[in-house]
Amino acid sequence: MNSTFLLPVYNEMRKGLLLIWDYKFSMLMQIVTFGMIFLGISFMMGNGKLVPALIAPALVGYMIWFLATLAINDMSWNLQGEAQTGTLEQMFMGAASMSVIVLGRVLIRLAFSIVTVGTMSVIMVIMLDVPVTFPPSATVPLVITLAGLLGFGYLVAGATLVFKQIGTLASILTNMMLFLNGSLLPVDRMPDGMARFARLLPTTEGIIVMRQVMIDGLSLAQTWETGSLGALINHSLVFVALGLLGFRYCENLARRRGTLGQY
Amino acid sequence: MSAIQIADLSKSFPRKGHPPTVAVDRLSFTIPEGQIFGILGPNGAGKTTTIKMICGLIHPDNGEVRIGPYDLQTQRRQAMSLIGAVLEGTRNIYWRLSAWENLMYFARLKGVLARHAAARAKMLLGELGLWDRRKEAVRTYSRGMQQKVAIACALVADPQVVLLDEPTLGLDVQAARTVRKWVAQLSHEQGKTVVLTTHQLPMAQDLCDQIAIMREGKLLANEPTQKLLTLFDEEVYNIRLQGKLPEQAVSDLPGFSANYSDGQTVLTGPVRQGQDLYALLDRFRSAGLPLVSVTRERADLEGIFLKLMDQA
Repeated sequence: MNSTFLLPVYNEMRKGLLLIWDYKFSMLMQIVTFGMIFLGISFMMGNGKLVPALIAPALVGYMIWFLATLAINDMSWNLQGEAQTGTLEQMFMGAASMSVIVLGRVLIRLAFSIVTVGTMSVIMVIMLDVPVTFPPSATVPLVITLAGLLGFGYLVAGATLVFKQIGTLASILTNMMLFLNGSLLPVDRMPDGMARFARLLPTTEGIIVMRQVMIDGLSLAQTWETGSLGALINHSLVFVALGLLGFRYCENLARRRGTLGQY
Repeated sequence: MSAIQIADLSKSFPRKGHPPTVAVDRLSFTIPEGQIFGILGPNGAGKTTTIKMICGLIHPDNGEVRIGPYDLQTQRRQAMSLIGAVLEGTRNIYWRLSAWENLMYFARLKGVLARHAAARAKMLLGELGLWDRRKEAVRTYSRGMQQKVAIACALVADPQVVLLDEPTLGLDVQAARTVRKWVAQLSHEQGKTVVLTTHQLPMAQDLCDQIAIMREGKLLANEPTQKLLTLFDEEVYNIRLQGKLPEQAVSDLPGFSANYSDGQTVLTGPVRQGQDLYALLDRFRSAGLPLVSVTRERADLEGIFLKLMDQA
């Protein structure tokens, strides 16, 4: 196995899985929380009633938002925790570059989140009779959205290396995203300024395309024609590039400032 | 070949509204292969910054670090493959994972496949007496056991150089003794180069082949331990006399201090040549103060350390 890429990615994923298993109860609670909050939101949107037609777009947005939240929180709180226990510095003494190690971390977190959020979403769809489908073509915008999230994860991880106490800020950011990335209120219904800001967030374009595919029944070709798929690809590419560059810059800055092991 | 070469290494950290803190100031030394090299100094001397620069965790402002034949700046990956480290004051390992899972994780982190590392991991856990508990989470171990697992993780990829920053900090006497024994074995039986920082000077004196003493980022001394002890061996004597020596007589003896108790005077001070000692003892006998005992104080690292700190 390639010792500078595949092995460290596998290593991080394996460790991540073991730690997730060790925290299985809190993970279970996370899934329950996911469901409970969504039920609450659905009641609010339907003025005290569950209206499947209203729930459908919210569920797609909420799913993507929850994936983003789990990934971002892992990059901030968990890296901060590893700085505290000294395992972060050990990672920097490994054979692989830190950006490869972070890739393994994000991948396992996203994989786990997809399984849990996906399971809970299926339960919601069946229980509430929500008119949402998941055609195979939805995998394409989902993967592209996740790639953008990966880039954003790198940015958060880089900031955590330099500033450490970034967890609270990341929590505020992810909570703000729920209201601004089109999860609950579609971007085209937002005021101009807010819509422009919303489109800068890492999950907004993904939610637009996912809704077109999962609810409106558009094919990928049609989403390309509307320009939304192209916008999502551009958006994700920019986040990946920014994330990798930002992470490399922050890693060097942390080494210069000597803040890798500080917390 | 030397295991580590440090040349003209400097590091300062900026502070808002104050001049930068100079943590390490033009530090140079070479550590030969297979030695236990101690870095001593008070808090803030720059020991941990030096260790972290050797580990590549802090970029120096100036200077060069070479690990074996590799330059740390330009050949980081190769240099890192030669190093294992346990850093100060932190866990260094995952307490929620078992000892075995930790060892396999850290082997892979160093680029070693688990199947290649398994035999070494088994040997290390066997030596630690942890083989039977290898599947239990490290958080259930005693603090000493946890520290030993951390050291084992640093060793699992069989590095040539092991950096131990305060490895016995917070350990009880028995656990600290086990770690000390292990450190000695690493160098003397396995031929590893060990770089050790500690505040426990007797431990450094016992273990280290060579000792560097730092203060405010500068190197005050860097000598083989025995040479360091000899250099500062001033031939200090304790002379116990029956009766009280007059204060005037004490002040006539440069460098001497006197204590009087239970009818005896204990004089402590330097005597530069053996002949002076006999002359001195004759003086006391003529003054009617019979000799009870004479003992020579050996220089120890603690005394040398304090002396160097006073001189600096």
